[in-house]
Amino acid sequence: MTFALLVQSAIIGTSLGSIYILMALGLTLMFGMMHIINFAHGAVYMLGAFVIYYVFFQGGAPYFAAFVVAMIVLGIFGYLVERSIYRPIRGGIEPTLVALIALTTFLQAAGYPVFGQLDKHVPPVFPGTRNILGVGISIERLMIIPIAAALVVALYLFINRTRLGAAMRAIEQDKEAAALQGVNVNVVNGLAFAIGFALAAASGALMAPIFKLDPMMGEQPLLKAFIIIILGGLGSIPGAILGGLMLGLIDSIVATALGAEPAFLLSFVFIILLLLFRPTGLFGYAP
Amino acid sequence: MRSRSSLVHAALLAVAGLVAAGPGSARAADVIKFGVSTPLSGPAAPWGIPHKQATELIFEEINSQGGLEVGGKKYKLEVIAYDHKYVIAEGVATVNRLIAKDGVKYLSILGGAVVKANEEAVNEGRVLNLPLAYADGLVSPKNPYTFHSFPAPPETSTFWKWIKQNHPGLKRVATISPNDDTGWWSIKVETAFIQKLGYETVAKEFFERTMTDFNPVLLRILAQKPDIISVLASPAGSVGLIIKQARELGFKGRFIHIGQVDTSVVANIAGKANVEGTWVHGFVQAPLPEKIKSWQARYTKKYGEWNATSIDFANPAFAFVAALKKAQSVDPKKVADALSIVEFDNLWGKAHFGGKDYYGVGNQIIYPMPFSEVKDGVATLVVQRAPEGLDEPRKLK
Repeated sequence: MTFALLVQSAIIGTSLGSIYILMALGLTLMFGMMHIINFAHGAVYMLGAFVIYYVFFQGGAPYFAAFVVAMIVLGIFGYLVERSIYRPIRGGIEPTLVALIALTTFLQAAGYPVFGQLDKHVPPVFPGTRNILGVGISIERLMIIPIAAALVVALYLFINRTRLGAAMRAIEQDKEAAALQGVNVNVVNGLAFAIGFALAAASGALMAPIFKLDPMMGEQPLLKAFIIIILGGLGSIPGAILGGLMLGLIDSIVATALGAEPAFLLSFVFIILLLLFRPTGLFGYAP
Repeated sequence: MRSRSSLVHAALLAVAGLVAAGPGSARAADVIKFGVSTPLSGPAAPWGIPHKQATELIFEEINSQGGLEVGGKKYKLEVIAYDHKYVIAEGVATVNRLIAKDGVKYLSILGGAVVKANEEAVNEGRVLNLPLAYADGLVSPKNPYTFHSFPAPPETSTFWKWIKQNHPGLKRVATISPNDDTGWWSIKVETAFIQKLGYETVAKEFFERTMTDFNPVLLRILAQKPDIISVLASPAGSVGLIIKQARELGFKGRFIHIGQVDTSVVANIAGKANVEGTWVHGFVQAPLPEKIKSWQARYTKKYGEWNATSIDFANPAFAFVAALKKAQSVDPKKVADALSIVEFDNLWGKAHFGGKDYYGVGNQIIYPMPFSEVKDGVATLVVQRAPEGLDEPRKLK
């Protein structure tokens, strides 16, 4: 593998990792607070991409306006899912999982009659390529990195510098104690759902102009997000960031060097080895 | 209230009686059911939708003229179609349903992996299958009821001879194909053919059908500096992404798809300019012969939108109808025997089933295949060729 090829695949891997991070952040946030694995995350990613298709491509709105619309609409949807599904059956992890799987199946199945049977596409928002260290990289992919980084910083500031963020951290540590201190657990859980869904929608919205759109498009990113949160440690935000970057780089560099199949296998081998030595993942902790 | 309720019950009973014992049972005896198991959603839907629609249109035109006379009796032709999403498990389930529940004796399955998974069901059930699929061993003496109705790589590879003659400067070929029966066989056959012609195959890559980010695989391919990237049996959605991402990475060469792909769907994803110059088998937008223009008008009238893939994907229906007429029987064995000897018209000309010299059995459709090049965004016919060396001279009836 030449140096140029290594640089090119590392940049592509970083951009891919940025998307993985956004997907995994929402997932790990919800797991950390409520101990649920949101199986609907992939379907929300898909819906975020379709909001871009309709609002930006079909509706003619500016891309970033459509991006914000996707996050807000799916954020509200997340809050409604918390109210209508999670809250009524709270306490039962299995019923919640089953309900979220049912929601995913419904959204994917409804996608075909609603969005059509053929793959959809969104035209490029940032066309062209840029030469970096002698290699060409699509500007579209480069732009993912700062946008994802901005969202990660915004989430970090929200969780660490605001009262609602402090309430989230309190619930994550001890839900009963947080409630005794006056934290409205219902409202904060609803907010966590909204943020988680909005981040998944942001990932889908970022990928819409790069890939094609279909109702099943969220399955692969969801699988990657699961791998990342296990790798980084369930419930750990720094773990999701590091895990996302590592997986993006493995996917890109190993696949470039050895092929797509070895890269896919290697990501699992890497996780198995890591979990043998650190069963809680990179930044996870034993309950 | 009571009398109204009694009336409603009586009406319902009457309707139920009519449905159970009325014209339905008589009608069922006069209908020949033809099953279609095909992807109507997902990345391969651009193949599956015209497959179903072309079959329905041909049958509807026959039915509108009173049906098809077989053995002195008029039959209506009925399509029963299910979506298998190009998922093997769904394909097995839909074919089982067609055979066991719907009682079909004739069907057409799309997709190599799906057809292979259903080989046993088709052979044991003695169901006549007219698939549109690429897979090693599909056309073989062990599958006597399978008549492959679309040109496969052993036939379509012949286009490379035209490329060799008309573009002698292109020498290095990279191939990328789905990681399944369809992809493995396509690459094997095409690679063997082009190497004999003197091409250098510089890369062979496979991808999972769910893959959307082809950058790492393309980086490997482009490092070998190919002149042509052959995308073989990849579906339109994947081809669109491969072309788009390869162009972003700086690839300036040609793409070729000797399977079949709708270049307008590809251009939607890849961008019109990026698809320019792509060679493709079995998808032609212009110039169209009069016979196909008539088909285009009828198809567009019925479905509202023209789909050029329907031209070649009408083959199973044309072959089936010709065999029924020839056999004058609805016995699948007799219809299969008729398929072996009948010559019939498809939309490109005269077609028959042959290829015994290559496959060991004459169950592969043979006809003058169209090849096109995308020029100004339009898949433009450049040559029509029959495959060579596959078919023994034989007497067709």
